[in-house]
Amino acid sequence: MNTITLFSIVLTVAAYGLARLLAVRFSSPLTTPVFLSTVMIILVLAGSGITYQDYTPAKEIMTYLLGPATVALAVPLYHNRDVLLKKAAPAFWGLTAGTLATVVSAVWMTKMFHLTEATAASAAVKSVTTPVAIEVARMIGGDPALAAIFVMIAGMFGAMFGPWLLTVMKVTDPFARGLSIGTTAHGIGTAQIVQEGSLQGAVSGAAMGAASIFTSLVLPWLFPLL
Amino acid sequence: MKNSYLFVAQISFLWLIYQFGLFISEFFHLPVPGNVVGMIILFLLLSLNIVKVGWVEKGAQFLNKHLAFFFVPIAVGLMTYTSLLKESGLALAVMLLGSSIIGMALTGGVAQLLSSRHSKKEKGEDASEHHHSI
Repeated sequence: MNTITLFSIVLTVAAYGLARLLAVRFSSPLTTPVFLSTVMIILVLAGSGITYQDYTPAKEIMTYLLGPATVALAVPLYHNRDVLLKKAAPAFWGLTAGTLATVVSAVWMTKMFHLTEATAASAAVKSVTTPVAIEVARMIGGDPALAAIFVMIAGMFGAMFGPWLLTVMKVTDPFARGLSIGTTAHGIGTAQIVQEGSLQGAVSGAAMGAASIFTSLVLPWLFPLL
Repeated sequence: MKNSYLFVAQISFLWLIYQFGLFISEFFHLPVPGNVVGMIILFLLLSLNIVKVGWVEKGAQFLNKHLAFFFVPIAVGLMTYTSLLKESGLALAVMLLGSSIIGMALTGGVAQLLSSRHSKKEKGEDASEHHHSI
């Protein structure tokens, strides 16, 4: 392992640890760990002249457990299975309405602002988890790299402001909150809302999975109609 | 010491299920990524009592708690797109954030409305001796 990789790993772990401490001490959207640690790392990398390419080997090592960590969401899901089964119908309708509204409004707004067709196709997939977003974006004529960026921004936004916005909109039911975050802000939102409660985390993880299935089935025929 | 072995064993087991999920997803050309397939597989194994929840609980709790960490190195990739974000940043921001807010409001609102109606209905029907099921 070279020095830059080692430095990148130490930096990332330290930034994450610090952001978590700050999040506990000063609770605010700006201290959302995924946002704050990303900003700190980008500033340090830019300041020390390390490019994202130099950082990539460290990224590969550190994201090695992302797959197993997503699989691990099955455990809170299992613990909350009774609630989930009982609320299958509200969950289905909420997820369907929310996903369609996100896709349609994103595509219409890209057209309103005269952005390119490829931007619209990349924006249409922004609510779902990255691997699905990239595949579906490719299917409907989007740019996979741009789609990945939009996914990241949607996730960050959901993690930072989602819980607060839901409270403002008087969505207080923990089940509905988890569903809303998982549907619109995938894993990044889930990572945040799981801190609010195990039920929210479980529902969010399930919604993330369901939204990715729904999107990959519906978008290829819906997108050309918009 | 025994605990840390247990911990590593549990995370390795989750890793195995993840690999199996990847394999299933690719083999059947599913529109669902391997990590979500793995999540569904583990949920089924737990529900069917083939895997006891104690076998994975400690490792899963740790990974759930630090799920955000694994997204940080990926999010750092945003640094390569600063010029694009500067160019049409405002339009993109309005579009991305606006549609997210609309989606969040509808998902949460519809789910909350329907589930509160549903539980009211269920309470009402308790009196007439049967449960309403969906």
